[in-house]
Amino acid sequence: MLFLVAGGLQLVFGVQKIVNLACGSFYALGAYVGVTVMTFALAKGVPEYYVLPLLLVSGLALGIVGPFVERILRFIYNREEGFQLLLTFALLLLSQDIYRFIWGATPKTLGNLSLAYGQTMIGPTSIPTYKVLVIIASIVIALALGWLLQKSSFGRIVRATAENRGMGEALGINSAKITVVVFTLGTILGTVGGALVVPTAAASLDMMVELVVEAFAVVVIGGLGSMRGALIGALVVGLVRSLAVFFYAELEILSIYLIVITVLIFRPTGLFGKPIE
Amino acid sequence: MTRSRFLLAALLLILIAIPFVVPAYYVTLILPALAYGVILLGFNLLFGYTGLMSFGHALFVALGAYSVAYATGRYGMRSMEGAIGLAVLVSLVVGIPVGMLCVRYVRIFFGMLTLAFGMLFHSFLFKFYDLTGGDSGIPITRPFLLGMEFPDLDKTAYLVGPFYFYSLGILLILGFVMWRIVHSPFGLHLRAIRDNPRKAEYVGARVYLFRLAAYVISAIYGAIGGALLSIPVGLADPELAYWTHSGNLVFMTILGGFGNFFGPILGAFVFVGLQSELQSLTQYWRFALGVILILIVICLPRGLMGLVYKRGKPLDAHDAGRLNGESKV
Amino acid sequence: MNVILEAQNVSKHYGSYRALQEVNLRIHEDEMIAIVGPNGAGKTTLVNVLTGLLKPTHGDVMFRGASIAGVGPVKLAKLGMSRAFQLVHIFPELTVFEAIASAVVSQQGRNFDFWSRVKSIGAVRERVEEVATIFGLQDRLEWLASYLSQGEKKLLDIATAFALNPQVILLDEPTSGISSSDKRGLMDTLMEAARKAGIKTLLLVEHDMDLIAEYSTRIVALTEGRVLADMPPKEFFANPDLAAAIVGKPPTHAEA
Repeated sequence: MLFLVAGGLQLVFGVQKIVNLACGSFYALGAYVGVTVMTFALAKGVPEYYVLPLLLVSGLALGIVGPFVERILRFIYNREEGFQLLLTFALLLLSQDIYRFIWGATPKTLGNLSLAYGQTMIGPTSIPTYKVLVIIASIVIALALGWLLQKSSFGRIVRATAENRGMGEALGINSAKITVVVFTLGTILGTVGGALVVPTAAASLDMMVELVVEAFAVVVIGGLGSMRGALIGALVVGLVRSLAVFFYAELEILSIYLIVITVLIFRPTGLFGKPIE
Repeated sequence: MTRSRFLLAALLLILIAIPFVVPAYYVTLILPALAYGVILLGFNLLFGYTGLMSFGHALFVALGAYSVAYATGRYGMRSMEGAIGLAVLVSLVVGIPVGMLCVRYVRIFFGMLTLAFGMLFHSFLFKFYDLTGGDSGIPITRPFLLGMEFPDLDKTAYLVGPFYFYSLGILLILGFVMWRIVHSPFGLHLRAIRDNPRKAEYVGARVYLFRLAAYVISAIYGAIGGALLSIPVGLADPELAYWTHSGNLVFMTILGGFGNFFGPILGAFVFVGLQSELQSLTQYWRFALGVILILIVICLPRGLMGLVYKRGKPLDAHDAGRLNGESKV
Repeated sequence: MNVILEAQNVSKHYGSYRALQEVNLRIHEDEMIAIVGPNGAGKTTLVNVLTGLLKPTHGDVMFRGASIAGVGPVKLAKLGMSRAFQLVHIFPELTVFEAIASAVVSQQGRNFDFWSRVKSIGAVRERVEEVATIFGLQDRLEWLASYLSQGEKKLLDIATAFALNPQVILLDEPTSGISSSDKRGLMDTLMEAARKAGIKTLLLVEHDMDLIAEYSTRIVALTEGRVLADMPPKEFFANPDLAAAIVGKPPTHAEA
């Protein structure tokens, strides 16, 4: 799950060199809307097993927010990184208030919907089939994204723009359009991720910031600009988190933040860029 | 130079006069602005002068508040000075190790790490009910100011009277100290580090150490401000450490203008005032604040103080008069 | 003359790439050394090693007899060596006064002063004005560094290096980006400043052969990480093969 979003972050950051904290907003948006949609659908008598496709679709549809946000961000493309950080942070703050206003402060859940598809046996444990399906979906999406970026001509253009926007434009690439597309892609990854997660976890106001911090940890472990890295990072983070909860149940909420901090203690130079200028 | 000195003096006089002429309600509004002024003085040292954007600064505000709560509530210490002393101590104990870790990084890494620490503390406050009172927090008993109890004054009179002047006094003293720090060789090096860390090393600035020092100083200011902030409320609660509170600090600094000495203080006052006005105007006030923040980041990067200085030169009012040459050759 | 800076059998490898190979160099006081060579010859690497930025893979660098391999810029400044870069490095939001002051303040050991107002410290102000005057920046003291012309920025950069009162100063292509007619003026200013500041030794990385011929006391030529030649300019230019080897084709003023 995390991977989806981390992937999105990679994409956006890697291509635009924009640090987009608002990914957290998209994630939460996906989650909240997902809950709303499902609750609405269930109330209308839609059978439970429509949950996966419905969420998927609502997540995809939300991607429409992408271009709007991108327009706003466009104002500061040329400013220093600090401002980009600030603006996306401001967006995060703003969305926090908006969501609180629309959906209230109590977390929203979908009850036992994760069991809508029953359970599967994997080794000694049983896991809700829903989760299995989502994992499969994530892997598929990951592969698709990877293929898109590496093999397709679209992907080539995207990577070229990432390397050198000016050069790309000189070669006739409409970088503005590319940017919008890429950004929207990233947004969709976020909203879908959020939507898909709601049967298993509640949609809460804390999601946004948790996600941002987690995604950051993933990016640090896995390295920037690498899909594979994002995958590894997500796995590691997920694993560590489960372990932490397993050993010290109270650590649950703390664990995310502890993880990031621990990661940075033990991986001081990060795996990319210049964290220490 | 004399003009801005005059302006400052006038403002000071106004601030002193306020409790005597303005209704109590408005005076109690100014109290958080004073507290935030202290917090932001420290925050801006880190943000504007050293170039490190902390998204978790509310950590220290909360630490300050909880220190006061512990001191007055659980330890029965009635002295405000003692409580503040405890707050400073706690901020040092937490700030130094946290700083040592965070300051190794810059930009987004620094921002995310500080965010993580802030939220870590928030979760901690929530979880460890026995220590921290969970989400109900810890109540604060009214402390003695400079040893005086003021038993005859009810809460409002206490706040509007002695406590107001106490806060104002602290703001002034700490403001003066910060002024000296910023104008000192140390402050100069901080700005050099902000502008070009590599070159700063070549002129002999110890980048890591100085950044750490800035972090710790800002932590101390944050804690003292947190102490001041929590007394009128009478409660130390976990929300003080939530990331949106850190976000508000960033907001206030940007609003007023960072890298400028008085900017953040102005930002604090404007923010507090804006918030209360908007709250009474519409239920969408949070949304409005958010939009304002975005607009400021896009259109007015130097904040309100930027409007005052033509080129937004980040110097203090003190130096503005000496700007005698500007040309892009 | 005393040996002030010495590279002893220095090699620097990056994996299989040999940036420097067995470089031996002895630099004495009162020398003006020009380091020349085609791009990629290892000049910058050598400079980085000599200034303690890079640790040599083999060999050692000595400053006044003490090893300075990899000490880093801050320590370097304390020891008495200073450096200016090819690309202009300034502090955009500091005034000229403040930029020079930041160096002066370190040199006067005031780093940990949290209390005094920089501008009020007489010793600092005097020194800043002194340095600024040497470099012709005295009228620009209150200007924000980002408003200076490119040439002035360069001067400022070098001035801050000088302000550290070093015994040895390393200048990386100081005249790059300066128009040919101004080059001599800059070199004269540099020599004058060095003299006034009591700087004993200058190392220059330069491409402009004419300048080198005129100002340096010794030329160290590098190709492919090795010292090709190490001799006074007269001898160097007397040998046409040498000059050609360094410059390659007809002299260009190409910056790295």
